[in-house]
Amino acid sequence: MTNTADVVVIGGGAIGASVAFALARRGASVTLLDASTPGRATSASAGGLWSLGESLGLGCGVILHTAQQGAGDGPAPLPRTLMDFLWASNLRFPSLAAELRTLCGIDIEAEAATGLLYLVYDEEQERHASRIIEWAGSDHGAVEKWTPQHIRDRDPLITHDLRSAIHFPGDNQVNPMLLTEALKRGACAKGARYLAEARVRALRCSNGRIVAVESDKGTIACGAVVNAAGAWGAQIARLAGIEIPIQPVRGQIICTEALRPGTLRSNLSTRDCYILQKAHGEVIIGSTTEYCDFNTEVRYEDMCSLAAGAIRAVPALRNVTLKRAWAGLRPGTPDELPILGAAAELENFFHGTGGFRTGIVAAPLTGEVVAASVLGQTPEFPIEPFLASRFQRIYV
Amino acid sequence: MTPPAIVIIGGGPAGMSAAVAAATQGLSCTIIDEGFALGGQIYRKPTNPERAPAPHPRGEQLRAEVAKLAQQIQVRNGDNVWGIFDKLRVAVTSPDQHTELLQPQALILAPGAHELVPPFPGWTLPGVMTPGAAQILIKTMGVAPGKRVLLAGTGPFLLAVACQLVDAGVHVVAVLEASSRPAWLSLPLHGFRTPEILAEGLAYLSKLDRAHVPVRYGRIVVAAQGETELNAVEHAPVDAEWFPDNNRIETEQVDTLLVGYGFVPRVQLAQMAGCNLELRPDVGGWIPVRDRNLATSIAGIFAAGDGAGVAGSLVAALEGQLAGMAAARFLGAIDEATFAAARDSIEQELARLKPLRRALDKISALQPGLMSLVRDDTIVCRCEEVTWREAREAVCAGSTTYRSLKMTSRAGMGACQGRFCWPFLSRLVAAEAKCSLADIGPPSARPPLGPITLGALAPEPRDK
Repeated sequence: MTNTADVVVIGGGAIGASVAFALARRGASVTLLDASTPGRATSASAGGLWSLGESLGLGCGVILHTAQQGAGDGPAPLPRTLMDFLWASNLRFPSLAAELRTLCGIDIEAEAATGLLYLVYDEEQERHASRIIEWAGSDHGAVEKWTPQHIRDRDPLITHDLRSAIHFPGDNQVNPMLLTEALKRGACAKGARYLAEARVRALRCSNGRIVAVESDKGTIACGAVVNAAGAWGAQIARLAGIEIPIQPVRGQIICTEALRPGTLRSNLSTRDCYILQKAHGEVIIGSTTEYCDFNTEVRYEDMCSLAAGAIRAVPALRNVTLKRAWAGLRPGTPDELPILGAAAELENFFHGTGGFRTGIVAAPLTGEVVAASVLGQTPEFPIEPFLASRFQRIYV
Repeated sequence: MTPPAIVIIGGGPAGMSAAVAAATQGLSCTIIDEGFALGGQIYRKPTNPERAPAPHPRGEQLRAEVAKLAQQIQVRNGDNVWGIFDKLRVAVTSPDQHTELLQPQALILAPGAHELVPPFPGWTLPGVMTPGAAQILIKTMGVAPGKRVLLAGTGPFLLAVACQLVDAGVHVVAVLEASSRPAWLSLPLHGFRTPEILAEGLAYLSKLDRAHVPVRYGRIVVAAQGETELNAVEHAPVDAEWFPDNNRIETEQVDTLLVGYGFVPRVQLAQMAGCNLELRPDVGGWIPVRDRNLATSIAGIFAAGDGAGVAGSLVAALEGQLAGMAAARFLGAIDEATFAAARDSIEQELARLKPLRRALDKISALQPGLMSLVRDDTIVCRCEEVTWREAREAVCAGSTTYRSLKMTSRAGMGACQGRFCWPFLSRLVAAEAKCSLADIGPPSARPPLGPITLGALAPEPRDK
């Protein structure tokens, strides 16, 4: 076993696997280090690919929750560049799914036509939604307002007690675990090396460079390091003497037994929760958005409020059996944008973290742009707004 | 209604004894049990006494003691404890899906154990079940599990169930015990201090002998046959490590096969409460770490009986007593001297039972040959219908922990949360990946442990 690599990618979630895949496809020798830790956002995630729904700030625990707390109830959208980035990443799923199926025989269950319906229960929500839709403009497909009749025709199980719904046609879903597994195996098929249970203990630095990564599975001499450690991104950066403002943001999720696939045709988002049925038949209802360090416990009260929110949106769920509840830790940043690209402090250390609520949808493009940065190529999407150095400008 | 001082989860010998011990000290207790009456699996009460075997006298006695303390002991039967949340909050849902959060000052976990069944070709055919399942059929409903029954596995529980089947008029074709006859013949050496238990075992054997039920030692079931249901079983003699001699397979025409290779502690509630676990294969696998007073690593939570390490009903009842006294001490209902005296006498009795128990554990310790039965197309996770081929491929791709194997193969992702498949699957994975069971880890325990509906978490607004 060789203990050198051009690039060591730390973190075997969706982002790390995508970066490893993109690097391996470009011919770099890559070692992907994974460590199964409770609360990994990829395995906890519901797998909604809601590039618009999430970046616009509709729905429960929306991505703007912090901004909104400060700004009252008006729309306080994130920089449009995030929406554009997520949209561009989302567009890659159909071809990525086909490529991964051919390469490693895994179907990542990238659903093409589920779409996202944001349910509007009252007048205030309706006003808020209209303002946001207006702001979004028509760059990204036909966002439509649906009448209750239209909703009923498409998804008869959705409550009739609502005013309207906003339909985001491109916001579909994927199986995040299969996506990650396929990217990982795809990377290996292209020559990458994958090490399971290889917790990183130290980053060896010399002359402003990282020269080796010390892990539970040995020390790997390397040319560059990618920090794709998700909610643990700040801890990995600290091993290199670098501070980045990543904080774990807990999301609790409940999941039903498998129902007949197609019972719910749309992904749903409400102000209480989101609801989506996976290809396997289970209905996933999420999620809370809370700062509580690395605690991955599930709280009874939160299970109850998710259940109540789901029953409000889809009353027939009342008699459905609950299978499981769990919690994951999203990598959150102060401005809710990801941290991507070169770290200013070390010449060969790169970030691919901070995906917060949108890490899965962002994974394909994140892999591409981070791989390009590592190899000194021009990323196909400008990542300046996502560089870690933006925080120094704020804090210095 | 004031909350009880102590909530006891499980109404078997450990739970009933714990309640009696604590209630005798004046503490209010609530026993919650999923069964329709107290007794647990071992002392299960018949629904229809005329059609079922007579209940065990030790069970009857414990039920009577609980009944005498009805002022202090509330019994909730048929209720599902599906989660323990922070600060000893116990989530309980009744069959009509009404949910309550109980917050006692102390908690005694006495959930018992479930049976251990290895995957082998044909094990998912209708007609293949566990001895415990057959026992429930006979005891609660007076229903025979089948017409021609074969029992296979290891341990005295097989003999007990075989006798109950004989009493119920079922044709028991044979009992196959994996361990060798000489190992069993050495038991009296270890059990001379517990002659009453040896006598019980001999009574089982002589009853089977009179009923012409052969007990065949050193044999295991290697496959079950049938298209849509079981119609035959293949079994073979084994060596000391339970590897079968496939040249000497015998086939038996039966409609029912009962397989049980011992028990696995139900440790999920302790795990959910945050109690530290340790791996103890000799008593069934992962168990909560306990001190001398049966206190877990979480203050106020005690664990007793098979759920904290499989040791049988007599040990369970004694541990229940000790846990009940320890909880009473924890709540200040008795002083240290009283507690220490009670503990001393319980510990003496436990010490008397220990040598025989140890010898039985050794005889019935799982051997590697049992893991050789699985074929590529054998289902290893029944909830998600994952085959060994699929699981093994995931292992070879690097998924060698519970969490990562679950994510990549779905094994353990079903409703049972790996409780049923994982005890064996983890051994298969350990052998394949050449790692230890401790590295693979226990399955995670997540609410809800038992089935509840979404509606159980979101009560409808009450009508006026």
